[in-house]
Amino acid sequence: MPDIGRMLPNEKPEHPYVIFSYGGSMYKNFATRFCSGCGYGIIGHIFTRIFEDEKLDPHLYPTIIGIGCYSQMLLLIHAKSQKILALHGRAPAVATGIKMANPNMKPIIFSGDGDCLGIGGNHFIHLCRRNLDCIIFIFNNSIYAMTGGQGAPTTLYGATSSTTPYKMFENRSDGVELALAAGATYVARTTVAHPRTYIKYFQKALNHKGTSVIEVITPCVTYFGRKNLDNLGAEYIEQEGEKMDTGGKMIDWIKKNTVRINQAKFMTEEELFNKYIIGEFRYQPDKPEYSEEYAKIQKIAMEEK
Amino acid sequence: MNIENGKRFLPEGRHLMMGNVAMAEGALSSGLKFFGGYPITPSTEVIEHLAVRLPQVGGICMQMEDELASINSVIGASLVGAKSMTATSGPGLSLMVETISMAANLEVPFVFCDVQRNGPGTGFVTEPHHNDIGLVRFSGNGEFQVIALAPMTCQELFDLTITAFNYAETYRCPVYILSDAYLGHLHEIVNVPPKEEIQKRVIDRELPTPDQFIKKFTYKDDITGELVIPKPPQMGTDYCPGMFLHQPHNYEGLPTPKPMQFMEAIMDKINKNKDKICITEQYKLDDANIVIIAYGLPVRSSYRAVDIARKENIKVGIFRLVTVWPFPDKRVKEVVKDARAVIVPELNYTGYVAEQVERVTKLDTPVIKIPKVCEFHHPDDILNIIREVAK
Repeated sequence: MPDIGRMLPNEKPEHPYVIFSYGGSMYKNFATRFCSGCGYGIIGHIFTRIFEDEKLDPHLYPTIIGIGCYSQMLLLIHAKSQKILALHGRAPAVATGIKMANPNMKPIIFSGDGDCLGIGGNHFIHLCRRNLDCIIFIFNNSIYAMTGGQGAPTTLYGATSSTTPYKMFENRSDGVELALAAGATYVARTTVAHPRTYIKYFQKALNHKGTSVIEVITPCVTYFGRKNLDNLGAEYIEQEGEKMDTGGKMIDWIKKNTVRINQAKFMTEEELFNKYIIGEFRYQPDKPEYSEEYAKIQKIAMEEK
Repeated sequence: MNIENGKRFLPEGRHLMMGNVAMAEGALSSGLKFFGGYPITPSTEVIEHLAVRLPQVGGICMQMEDELASINSVIGASLVGAKSMTATSGPGLSLMVETISMAANLEVPFVFCDVQRNGPGTGFVTEPHHNDIGLVRFSGNGEFQVIALAPMTCQELFDLTITAFNYAETYRCPVYILSDAYLGHLHEIVNVPPKEEIQKRVIDRELPTPDQFIKKFTYKDDITGELVIPKPPQMGTDYCPGMFLHQPHNYEGLPTPKPMQFMEAIMDKINKNKDKICITEQYKLDDANIVIIAYGLPVRSSYRAVDIARKENIKVGIFRLVTVWPFPDKRVKEVVKDARAVIVPELNYTGYVAEQVERVTKLDTPVIKIPKVCEFHHPDDILNIIREVAK
């Protein structure tokens, strides 16, 4: 482990929750490896905060982390939570094994847009289909940031990335629509520009029995913001764009480019093009949960002679 | 969950069983709790049988969406402390190798039943072909050691599955059972021992005493200089590293700047324990000057060939590898030392084991391969070679 503490000396913790994070418990500061302007710092601290405030039992809430920039969130999330770094895209499958082998657990899965909707799309669909009791976060920064800014399934139309140098022309994959179609029972989308809403959704997901899918729109300044203009949304397309080269500009763009679900009902498809709809899309607490249903099967099998 | 249910063990006595079913029953006897699989000919009977039997003993049998998911769920379940297994065939194995490599890094114990079929590609799906021998040894990216057992009867499928689970618990590495399409679908009598006897053999997943909680991964003891393999960590208990990170790690699971030490740990834990791991059998080898080295089904043809040859006063014997990987170099070297010729009948064209034998034989000792693909060795095939060599 590189000595980040010495690189970024910080004598007293600025934040009451910093000592609970993995890096904070070692170095007593916000030691992260994220670029400036990245949204994962917000996400990591919200996780740590909720983990501490809700007094979650670390033995029952394992964290399964996929591969992406957010893998480095290991340093930010609660020190006591038991973490596994899964392979690229396979986190939902690992979580299935964990949940089934110990039904008391509620795995929390971290995955990104490329991880969950690209390489691990199949596992994600079937996790939602089974309605396995777990929480899956999709951190959507619309780019493959860890490998240096390649186009992702979620990259917005017209955006540039290192593998779509002229412009992105593919159709965009929508994690929420996919989760709804696959049968997840709690589906919501929020952004890091709305942290209170994120906390609310996270708390609701913790109390929900079934698959909770929360997509979080997060900025990537280094590989997405610097290369794209803030006129990516449909209604701004005629406007002259400005480079989104700071975290603040990207947060502004995210706010500008999101539409609340109530508002979206009155908008046409053209108006919603390249926009993120945020809000709660489905809450269905009464649908049977997989591990509980399997326990019933076990009971039948045990009683059979 | 109550795994000590009466249904875990079959009643003592003789049972007529299909090979795949014998393997599944062997796994249940050794305390299997989680099976994640995906149907693939010729291993489908394993998941079919376990779908009936596992819920009866409080275990979980899951049909996952693909092979990638099934192996990953197996790793997940094993990390929580459930004895877990998957069964597949060659094409499934090639999809799973990525995760096997990760499991080898994290030292996650699990058992892998490979019911081999013809290849490459889809091949003849119901024909036996020992063509995964090389793949299981060199599967996945990175360097790691595996254990592979090659049974030849349904009885052995039952017994060796228990051994495989014990190896997985002890050595914390991927353990393969190399069955094939013939063996998997063969119906034979299996003598099931009394459950007390099985229970005595089985190594259960247990937590160590709290004073041993710090060291969770294989490490070299500073004083004795020997490798120590701790018990597998379990999530949901205090005996669990802060993070399971598949990078070169130290005994606590934290990334280490010394990848060489890590490499030594995961390679040498098998290399240095070869004597304990390798199971070999000998048949009429004491005075033999022609040696047959074989594993799996070709051994059965070889027995017949050797018996006939002995009647013709040809001094020939069989050295059987029950453990194919790690390859028992020393023992093979000892056996082939004075041999006039070594015959290696294998159910594949390459001769994966023949290559290993060539490595340890003297330069002037001929190693004769008898390749067969998709069909059984007739004893005459082997006998003819023996006669030719004996001339």
